[in-house]
Amino acid sequence: MLLAGLSAMAIAGFLAVAVLVRIYHAQQNSLGERWFGRGVAELKTQRFDHAAADFRTALIYSRDNFLYQLNLAQALIGLRRGDEAYAYLINLWDQQPEHGVVNLELARVAAAKGDTEHALRYYHNAIYATWPGDEETERKNTRLELIGYLLKTGAKPQAEAELVALAANAGDDPAEQEQLGDLFMQVQDYERALSSYRTSLKEDHGSARAAAGAGFAAFELARYPLAQHYLQMAVAENPSDADSARRLKTTDEVVRMDPFRRQISAAERYRVVMEAYEAAGDRLKACGALSAPEQNLNQDWAKLKPNVSERGLQHNPDLVNQAMELVFKVERQTAANCGAPTQIDSALLLIARLHEGG
Amino acid sequence: MKEAETNSPSNSMTATAIDAAPTPMSAVRQLRPSALMRAVFREERFFLVLSVFIGIFSGLAVVCFRISIDWCRIYLVGSGYSPSPTRLILAPTLTGLVIAVLVIHVFPLARGSGVNQTKAALYIYNGYIPIRTAIGKFITAALAIGSGQSLGPEDPSLQIGASLASALGRIMRLSRDRMRLIAPVGAAAGLAAAFNAPISAVLFVIEEVIGRWSAGILGSVVLSAVSSVVVMRWFLGSQSLFRIPPVEMKQPGELLAYALLGVIGGLASVIFAKGIGALRPWCKAQPRWTQYFQPAIAGLLIGFIGVLGAPQVMGAGYEYIDEAMHGQFTWQLLLLLAGLKILATTVSFVSGTPGGMFAPTLFIGAMLGTAVGGVERLFLPHLTGSPGTYALVGMGVLFAGFLRAPMTSVFMVLEVSGNYSIILPVIVANTVAYVISRALQPVAIFDVLTRQDGLDLPSMEEQREEDVIRVEDAMRAPIRPVDANDSLGAVLQREDTNSDVLLVRLQPSGWSSVTKKEIETMVNEGKADLTLGSVLATRRVPFLHPDHPVEMALRYVDRYPLVPVVNRADFRKLEGVISLDDVLEAYQPEVG
Repeated sequence: MLLAGLSAMAIAGFLAVAVLVRIYHAQQNSLGERWFGRGVAELKTQRFDHAAADFRTALIYSRDNFLYQLNLAQALIGLRRGDEAYAYLINLWDQQPEHGVVNLELARVAAAKGDTEHALRYYHNAIYATWPGDEETERKNTRLELIGYLLKTGAKPQAEAELVALAANAGDDPAEQEQLGDLFMQVQDYERALSSYRTSLKEDHGSARAAAGAGFAAFELARYPLAQHYLQMAVAENPSDADSARRLKTTDEVVRMDPFRRQISAAERYRVVMEAYEAAGDRLKACGALSAPEQNLNQDWAKLKPNVSERGLQHNPDLVNQAMELVFKVERQTAANCGAPTQIDSALLLIARLHEGG
Repeated sequence: MKEAETNSPSNSMTATAIDAAPTPMSAVRQLRPSALMRAVFREERFFLVLSVFIGIFSGLAVVCFRISIDWCRIYLVGSGYSPSPTRLILAPTLTGLVIAVLVIHVFPLARGSGVNQTKAALYIYNGYIPIRTAIGKFITAALAIGSGQSLGPEDPSLQIGASLASALGRIMRLSRDRMRLIAPVGAAAGLAAAFNAPISAVLFVIEEVIGRWSAGILGSVVLSAVSSVVVMRWFLGSQSLFRIPPVEMKQPGELLAYALLGVIGGLASVIFAKGIGALRPWCKAQPRWTQYFQPAIAGLLIGFIGVLGAPQVMGAGYEYIDEAMHGQFTWQLLLLLAGLKILATTVSFVSGTPGGMFAPTLFIGAMLGTAVGGVERLFLPHLTGSPGTYALVGMGVLFAGFLRAPMTSVFMVLEVSGNYSIILPVIVANTVAYVISRALQPVAIFDVLTRQDGLDLPSMEEQREEDVIRVEDAMRAPIRPVDANDSLGAVLQREDTNSDVLLVRLQPSGWSSVTKKEIETMVNEGKADLTLGSVLATRRVPFLHPDHPVEMALRYVDRYPLVPVVNRADFRKLEGVISLDDVLEAYQPEVG
């Protein structure tokens, strides 16, 4: 009888408390959502301190809420309180190690702390993680961010590897291809950069930026006629592009001064050789005090000079190679010791590299 | 008589308690022995079932209590993380005035330590705690903690549980023995639900309230604690009071760092305890009218601390323990918070505001632990302990140093963290803190409060540390035992010792004793040829071992003039003998 009475009291107590707890939880959820909403609005306007306080309040009412904690961590990152953000993020990571945003934020915190090892690990996790919404775009953006981080830390080979992976999945979007081209340029993969710019130009013929990029990439690849083509296109599309115009001038000079280029008449070749030979002589003269190697080169130059004429070259076609070899030697030697080269000297140096390597 | 002389609110309970105490098993005693045994066993089983109900009701009460605290906080201080300065100051101050009126006029037993009141129920009032105490504690503590007073909900929960249990016991008309035990059963239930940690609650009640391990009570305490935690988790979820971060300790050398935390925690415990011990009597000694304002003044001071940039010290502070554990504060701020919390809790508690010191103790420990961890990592960056590890160890340290519950402190950290790897740092740091605290503050805080209230409750710590007088301390050198095969006549002729009593080693085992006078009488009766064994076979004397407490000897020495003390490995080997005079002599220096 006593036990029955106690049981009845317990059941009644359970029911009453259940009602009370229901009301309590409803209120807690409502307060949590209200403060979270305020925090999100503050976060959007980058008022990180207010946002952090709002998210903290929201967490009082729903302590384990994943979204509230993630947003608080983002607000803390905004406040440059990486350690505090990390504490929240690592808890979230324990709960959902495959969550893209959590991994990306952890990577950012680690990157800010200079912890490259963890930054790379979390960036890679983020790339292969699950994302809310458009997964592909999020992954691509994450990889782009990773590439930016690698470039910043000077890890060009890793950045290039990430870029290759990124390019493999890239579409034909001109802007995207231009961006890829720019990044390939930064990692000095000029071939892939040129390819990206050309893909971009296929879709958007009038893109001055893509044309300039292609011109620069071709120039670095020593494909001067192609560089000349794209740079002319870039300058035509955007006459105010001074970089392209300057590079075009150099390219024009290289193309003009190269005696070994195809489809050139013998007379033109001899004229170019003579002009190059004169330029080399001027370079030696302008150098002032000559070192021993330069003096030797000066003597060689003076010795060969009488032969380097239209007639001499016609008479002995091998002299073209001999004269140009000496020109290249002079330009190489004086580049280090005799001050800034003139435009023609620069062109001759590039031609020297093109034909002799180095 | 002592109670009548003091002004302690607890003492007004005395008369009522005696009046209301149930007739102690009077009906049961009138039964025949077999019926009596049946009644006792029936009551024992019923007590176990009742413990489950006590747990359920305590769990329900604690759920309501927690919700009430939260509602008070939301409506008094505001729902935001950073309340307005006006509210920070007005809420605890004005609520303090209301609390003072309630405590002075309506619920006088609501002030004071729930632990001590439960102990008083156990040792003085035959388990009686008025239900009004539970109601008063519920209302006033919810208002106090909700308004920002620096106190915790665990001690009130403990008392609410004990009070509910006492009420149930009275309704069920339990015997006096059971009634005495019922308050600790309820206390364990209340504390377990408040902490969401049944093992710690059981240990605390055993360690600090009951003071001894007894199979009779342990089952009930465990059942009530578990059932209350089940109820609490049913309604409020199983999450612990704070999110537990990863805990690790990779290098044994780091124990030194934790030992340092033990030293600092021990010193902080002493400052905290001495502050309360000194200020509480001073506050109580002030004119009566000031008692209306003491909680409000405490609230005002705490409100100012909040406005000046440390609102974290207000209320129980579990959300900030959580943040500290996750490295949200710098070590400088953590140290400041620990110091301010000591100040705030001291003023809250000594002002007579109802509320407990468990949560503030954990708060101070967590802040101190994380701060020490932070500083140590500055100088020793290779240390692997996370802020969370230091916070958890710090909580255990303060628990051991301030509340002086060393066993509970270790198990609480283990139970809360759910990680066994933290045990070494906890044991090392807690032991250091406990030793330092005992050395600098010989009387534990609960005993200080008890004595200030004019009560003389047994000090569990003193009981634990009491020197036990053992049989070996009281016994005399062994006398030469007589062989059981010797004849009475031979023994009488041979024995010329001063001792009037002879010890007889029986065959094959056992001991007996006989006086010379008895032998003489038997010889005179013509039994000189009989052996001692045949005469004394049925007069066996119990024996003791040297390590037995001397109290055990008291059971025998009044019946037997000389009790043999024998070796545990060889019961025939006599290590010594003990008599009533020896026992009294052993107690002599203690009495002196």
